[in-house]
Amino acid sequence: MIPDFTRAVGVSRLAGIGYPMSRPMGRPGDAAGQREVLRALLQVLADATVPDTYVELPFVWPESPARARKGSDVRPPIADLLARKPWLLPKLYSGDIPDEE
Amino acid sequence: MPIDSYRFLDFATRQIIRAWVRREPQASGPVPWAPMTKRLGDATIALIATAGVACRDDPPFDQERERRDPWWGDPTYRAIPADSTQRDVRLCHLHIDTRFGEEDLDVVLPMRRLRELADEGFVGRAADTHYSIMGYQLRPQVLEVETAPALVRELKAGGVDAAALVPS
Repeated sequence: MIPDFTRAVGVSRLAGIGYPMSRPMGRPGDAAGQREVLRALLQVLADATVPDTYVELPFVWPESPARARKGSDVRPPIADLLARKPWLLPKLYSGDIPDEE
Repeated sequence: MPIDSYRFLDFATRQIIRAWVRREPQASGPVPWAPMTKRLGDATIALIATAGVACRDDPPFDQERERRDPWWGDPTYRAIPADSTQRDVRLCHLHIDTRFGEEDLDVVLPMRRLRELADEGFVGRAADTHYSIMGYQLRPQVLEVETAPALVRELKAGGVDAAALVPS
């Protein structure tokens, strides 16, 4: 998850965690770790009393970014499109999203 | 030390997300608020994943259309019975590494973990059904106007008091 972005969008309650995308609850097979993350995020739900409550959860991912990305070959279609038509990149930056390609 | 939201992102994604964050405060209105009306220990909790989780006997999220029109992302949702495991679902999302959720569904949709927290009384009850959307939504109008209200109707019909969104 990307807490900065989620918060900018405007949500009632947000539990931020410094874990890589694709693994918001933790590592596969780490039931105890996943359970503590879920417990902490639900505690935010219980404790928050005002909108835009933001709590950073105290969990630390045990790998470097390079190690966390190792073996990942995610290549979304939008990346291929922008590689072919780089002049469209400002549209993505600005949020001026075309109706159709 | 505060969380670095961009630590695990590649350079290009980091630049794009930073640009969106800079733009967003002008676009958003007041932050909505719905108070919890029950103690957590009495509440029924549902989960909503953004990882594009779909049961194998449901239609997958439409990746073919996204390949034809990369500005588009499937804005629909899928219901996931609470006893589903990774064997019962597929992950349809072209922007995340789906291997982790396919190995252990609780990484993106922690339904078993929620049941354990209900068993120990931390929450009142885990919902019978949880949900997934596919989080790549550059044009979020359909998600906002059709999908979100439909999800809320389903959650209310299922007696859910609160839902936790789990963004992948």
